[in-house]
Amino acid sequence: MQIPWRTAPRAALSSPLTLLVSLVTALLLSFVVAAAVMHSAASGSAAIDYQQDQLCAEALHPSLEAADVPHEYVAKGVQEITAAVTDKPPLIGTYTREKRVDFGGMPTVAKFGYRPGATDHLKVLQGGSKDGLWVPQSIAVTTDLRLGERGMGGRLPPVTAVYADVLDPLPAWWCSERHFVVPNVLDRDELATAVVWMPSAESFAALPPEAAGPTDITVRFPAEAPRTVDEAAALLAEGTARIRPIEDMFNRKVSPLVLPVENARQTARNVRSAVLPLTLISLLIGLAGVATVTVQWAQRRQQELRLLWVRGSGPFALGGRGVLELGLPLVIGGAAGLGTARLLLPVYAPSEIVPPGTGSTAALAVLVAVVLSISVTFATGALRTHRMFQVAQRGNRLRKVLTALPWELATAALAVWAWNRVQNSGLATTTKIGGLPRIDAAALAFPLLVVLTAALLTARLARWALAASHRARFWSKPAAQLAVRRLAAAAGPVTGVLLVGVLAVGTIAVGTAIAGSQKTALEVKSGMYTGTNSYAQIKPETTELPEALRGDSTIVGYVELHGRTALVVDPKTFRDGAFPFEIDPALLNEPLRVGTAPRREVRLPGLPPVNPSAWVPTFPKLGRSGWVVPVDRIEDRDDVGSWYVWTRKPLGELTGALSTAGVKFRNVGEKSKAVQGLPFLTIRWTFGFVTALGAVLAVVAAIALLLAVEVRRRQNALSGAFSTRMGLGPAAMLRSHLLELGALTGAAVVVGLSASAVSSAFTVPELDPAPRLLPAPEVPNALPLLVTTVVGSALVVLVAAWIAVRAVRSARIGELIRG
Amino acid sequence: MVEHVLRLREVGVEYRTPAGAVTAVSGVTLDVPASGMTVLAGPSGSGKSTLLRVLSLVERPTTGGVELRGMGTARLSSRARRKLRRREIALVFQNPGDNLIGHLDVGDNLRAAAQAAGRVARVEELLEQLGLPGTATWKVSAMSGGQQQRLAFGCALARQATVVLADEPTSQLDAASADLVLETLADLARRGVPVVAASHDPRLIALAHTRFDLRNGALAA
Repeated sequence: MQIPWRTAPRAALSSPLTLLVSLVTALLLSFVVAAAVMHSAASGSAAIDYQQDQLCAEALHPSLEAADVPHEYVAKGVQEITAAVTDKPPLIGTYTREKRVDFGGMPTVAKFGYRPGATDHLKVLQGGSKDGLWVPQSIAVTTDLRLGERGMGGRLPPVTAVYADVLDPLPAWWCSERHFVVPNVLDRDELATAVVWMPSAESFAALPPEAAGPTDITVRFPAEAPRTVDEAAALLAEGTARIRPIEDMFNRKVSPLVLPVENARQTARNVRSAVLPLTLISLLIGLAGVATVTVQWAQRRQQELRLLWVRGSGPFALGGRGVLELGLPLVIGGAAGLGTARLLLPVYAPSEIVPPGTGSTAALAVLVAVVLSISVTFATGALRTHRMFQVAQRGNRLRKVLTALPWELATAALAVWAWNRVQNSGLATTTKIGGLPRIDAAALAFPLLVVLTAALLTARLARWALAASHRARFWSKPAAQLAVRRLAAAAGPVTGVLLVGVLAVGTIAVGTAIAGSQKTALEVKSGMYTGTNSYAQIKPETTELPEALRGDSTIVGYVELHGRTALVVDPKTFRDGAFPFEIDPALLNEPLRVGTAPRREVRLPGLPPVNPSAWVPTFPKLGRSGWVVPVDRIEDRDDVGSWYVWTRKPLGELTGALSTAGVKFRNVGEKSKAVQGLPFLTIRWTFGFVTALGAVLAVVAAIALLLAVEVRRRQNALSGAFSTRMGLGPAAMLRSHLLELGALTGAAVVVGLSASAVSSAFTVPELDPAPRLLPAPEVPNALPLLVTTVVGSALVVLVAAWIAVRAVRSARIGELIRG
Repeated sequence: MVEHVLRLREVGVEYRTPAGAVTAVSGVTLDVPASGMTVLAGPSGSGKSTLLRVLSLVERPTTGGVELRGMGTARLSSRARRKLRRREIALVFQNPGDNLIGHLDVGDNLRAAAQAAGRVARVEELLEQLGLPGTATWKVSAMSGGQQQRLAFGCALARQATVVLADEPTSQLDAASADLVLETLADLARRGVPVVAASHDPRLIALAHTRFDLRNGALAA
């Protein structure tokens, strides 16, 4: 290798600024590519994590249940299961049905059960020795049972503990056993009972025949909660294989993990396909940045390149010279970008956990990006030198063609096409229950295409305006005139910074708006769907709220017949417990017709004939159709379908307060688990990534602005020094630079925010993963973003203006003129 | 033996500008002898530098043809022209700094020039000839303009080019430095290396064995 090529890496040190810019460009480019890979992979993990919150972690997969097994076969059955499944010990629960049992006091109903470790997960109220019966408090109180007593004429083991009845929300260990351990206290035949726990499998097998009878068996396989899609899929496959020898013994086989795995995969696919176009656009912008750096390198090295050219080197050799000088910073920047993407994963991705292999995929993507960067450097270097020396007199036709092409029309056409997709199939619904809608990546690109079109249009208009700016005459305001002239003199960098600035502000605003709208939509839709934050069904005779719930809760009756629904509300407390919504409180004192409910008299069980004149468009729980009746119009509460306590408190506080007050309850639920949130989260995660990319672009725009000022430091210093000597005051000089940079940044902020506001306003209501639930997503309050953007931009402008003014003040004019 | 190292036949060069085509050189026919110093003389804007770029095969003429050692170059591909430049031609620019690679030391500049032509430089011997002994490890920036320009001719020597072309080689130098360069040029010519220089410096013109005067892009009568 000849000397100028061999020494090129060392020669790079002669321009630290170029090195730094190359390195940062490659870093940002690689960060975007690696972050896209990691973000999509992490979205699968986040989907698994989210669904685990919705699932019972104790029995993810598989879950087996056998009903009505003759008691005498239970021990044998358990042995067979244990013998067949050797790789992972199953957790087997056995439960008798409710039977009349004599504990010596008042006769009661009880069911007996045995589940290894059960006594470790109960709250002991009395006693605690594990070699006897553990009796629930409800039975102990009813029968006045004491420790040491033996039921059924001494044929049962002695009572060694009294435990607190297991209530909702259940601890994780019990979540799969709700059906067996939480009695249906609202059952009117009064047979419902909690479980009396036997001390061992042998004692359970030895239950007296009159206490035993048909037995239910549950087989669970507790496992470490999977953190990634791959782990979940592996768990699913292992579990399915494990139960194959015994599955015929069971009449119920549940695999709660099947759909979540499928959903998580779909989520990762959705996010990947949604971020892919944006990543490709960012990759192109990044490669354009690499090309710009190479062009600047070629300009700086023009003298050396011309010498090598004259000595017979061709464009490829000179392109290679560029690669040898700029390649190392590109490689180092690429590695740094990969590292930064991994390091910042918790900041931008929905989960910190990525499946194994993601790092390698990201590294491969970065490798491709670096190779592309190096190829672009080579091609740009070769083309630039070819144009500078070989076809110098022919002019830059390619540039002219590229500039003349109406790119904004192309992106506008794409935006129209994407809008069509948004309206027609943006979020195609799925036919599978619990499945996810397909997210149309092209539809999600609509707001970004609007921003891109606005950015390109602004850049073109700015270029035209700057070309025509020599007609402007503001000499009465020299600061403004000088600002305009400086802008016009640097038309290329100015339009570049403006383009990237608009893109940055626009993508941040679009990302924030859409991600925020989905977050709020999920929250509000869930609230309107359940009607409240937490609820529990109670008996009709419960008319008073426990003291602990007053002020945050209400009692609501629910009636449903043939798809027609009505709520019975207490006008005094309804707004305390219901999910916040706007309504004139006086309206609650009269029957109400909601939304599309027919305008005629309606008769529903337990309600008087209802023919309301008052109407509201929507109502919690009822949504867009139904009736609301004040509780004082009800004659017999028993005739109303069901009664609930609605509260704004968490579910645990609700059940705790009800238990403390001795109020029997069942069928509990809460807002956070009511609605499948993954479709919302998919869009939120996608646009979260858009925001992250916007932040990267903002960094690029800020650095580009500061570099543009720094690069023309000498020119600024010379013109500034002359202007100062001609009488321009320091304040006017500062004002001039602030005007120049402020106009540029201000234009980027105004256009970016406007474009994002328009596109978000159109897009947000259309991106509704659950259109049947009210209300439609709305654009969130943009004020915080506006303030942040303006403050951030102002800071960049102040720093850039300070750099420019400092250059003028520290300039030695004699040296500048000589140089 | 070829009597002329370079021959121009009816060479014309035009540039396209927004205002229309501008003729820089028109109808120039001349023969550059295979030894001695040839000077293209003329005032600024007369077309000397353009003609020199055409002679050095850096620029293709719009019309006419160039022969190098009897070989026509008009139909040669860019690659073939580059090969000729690599082996046969050394071009020295007006600005001393433009002729050297700033981040290389003096010795490496000579070596790089020789390598480009596929030759090996005898650095110390060359520096001795140039009157710059012991400067092989110097940085280029440590040399004066005159020394740099002499080193540029040293690079041309290192390349063992068939012909050395120099564009206004003394115009950026003070009188003392210019003297050193003129001395180098005269020395080259004495060794039989054909040198073509474009200049309006009377002292350089005085050294010419052959002289062509240019006026407004054409040879003066």
